[in-house]
Amino acid sequence: MNQADVTKLVSKLRIKVPPKHRRLRNAEGPEGRINKLRKTVTAIIKYERIEVNYNRGDEARQYTERLIAEAINHGDCHKPTMEMANFWLLEKELVHKLFKVLVPRFENSNSAFTRFLKAPRPAHSRNMDKAVLELRGNPFPSLQNRQANNRLLLQNVLLDAAKYDYRQAKYAEMAENIGKTESEPKEKSSDQKPNL
Amino acid sequence: MKMNMRCFFKTLLYNKNVQCPDSRRFLSSKEAIERRHHLFMLEKKRQIEKVGRIEKIEVNYKGTPKECTLVMNKNISTPYDCARHMSEWHADNSALAVLDGTVYWDMHKPLTENCTLEFQNFTVAEPQQVNKAFWRSCSLVLGACVTAAFKDSVPVKLHSFPGPDIRSGSFIYDVDLPTLSDWKPTPQEMHTLSAEYVILTRKGLPIERLDVSEQLALEMFIDNEHKSSQIPSIARANGKVTLYKVDKHVDISKGPMISHTAQIGKLAITSVHKLSGSPDSDVKQLYRFQGVALPTGVILNHFAFSILIERAKKLNSARSPISPFTDREPQSIAANA
Repeated sequence: MNQADVTKLVSKLRIKVPPKHRRLRNAEGPEGRINKLRKTVTAIIKYERIEVNYNRGDEARQYTERLIAEAINHGDCHKPTMEMANFWLLEKELVHKLFKVLVPRFENSNSAFTRFLKAPRPAHSRNMDKAVLELRGNPFPSLQNRQANNRLLLQNVLLDAAKYDYRQAKYAEMAENIGKTESEPKEKSSDQKPNL
Repeated sequence: MKMNMRCFFKTLLYNKNVQCPDSRRFLSSKEAIERRHHLFMLEKKRQIEKVGRIEKIEVNYKGTPKECTLVMNKNISTPYDCARHMSEWHADNSALAVLDGTVYWDMHKPLTENCTLEFQNFTVAEPQQVNKAFWRSCSLVLGACVTAAFKDSVPVKLHSFPGPDIRSGSFIYDVDLPTLSDWKPTPQEMHTLSAEYVILTRKGLPIERLDVSEQLALEMFIDNEHKSSQIPSIARANGKVTLYKVDKHVDISKGPMISHTAQIGKLAITSVHKLSGSPDSDVKQLYRFQGVALPTGVILNHFAFSILIERAKKLNSARSPISPFTDREPQSIAANA
């Protein structure tokens, strides 16, 4: 009974985490990798929307999610959390932003804190996938055009009308069948009587 | 003075061209199209030259990437020119312009006064007007496609198309084919028609607009008795007839239309139905060409699109222009009697 609830010790990320981390090839080894990611994490907290290479962005996203989750769970009076924020955010005024702006923004959210979208690859570039990493609730115009459910779009108007037509045809058919089934059994019974 | 003289000679030139009494007799449909196109271009040039001293207007643009003020030429610059100042994406994807938040304006119609400007494409939150313009433009291009598709030996006389009704499932053009009294197109011929249509759309031709006087409109459509009989009633409102031009095809429509034909994406010309007129009307029969199309960039499953095609094959219930009463009414009377 007195055992700690393990799920509360480590904040559970709301994004898919791959089983192994990416190495992000770097001359300085693992330390160089971390330094690279610190820059990206700082940038995403600072600018709220950045365009990055896919691998680096995906890796930085996981650290960002973890950082925000820790900040929400423990608040700014928790020493390890503050140390972690201090380590990941290279510009120190962003520590204030993390606790005073982002924590109130994401406190009650049920989804992930960041959004990660694939971006078009620039023409004649090296074979490098691009992506856009952004914080949810940022002030920029939306990148996604989620309007497939807008009933007024031309294709939806056409499909709705086709559906309506189909239903009307079916109802007419059913109405005809009702008339038939009422008359048919009588005929059948009259047919069957002589056989019996 | 010099300008006036030039205008005078020009009008003289094409009036001479036009008023030749025999012109009607010798025009094949291809020549008629050429002639109409020629007149359209002359008139357009004349209208642009008539502007004279160029005045500036301020256009407040609202929308992405940011609001800004453009200084454009009065009666010369169009919303399309404004869009080209923004980006290629704006120029290609905008279908309609909205002035002052209320007036729907063609992309290729010159701006006349200071205004605010917004662009609308097919994915805006309330696309009713854009959809209607799209459907209307599809009918217009269908007319161009039908005139281009037939051989020279078959005269094609376009009649009219009704106002856009998207829920009916198909766009229409009613065409008079006087030499074909009982034509039932084969599936191969329908494919060819669709292919012609696709060729037109892939060219990405701008749909140009021009307001002309009744007299000039009558001269342009001198070879087409259906159109020339419609023109007086159209011009009754303000003495002007609005013409639209796709490639070399010129047609009458109220508008507005979309910006260019490359905005028409997936499409099919689905069927041709024969409409027979009432015995007292002067046109005995028409052919109703029907098709269905979607804007470029709309991704629709082929199965869903096949449903739309099947539906568009049925005769569209829009009122037939040659029989004043719909076909249903006499039937119901007959049923009651």
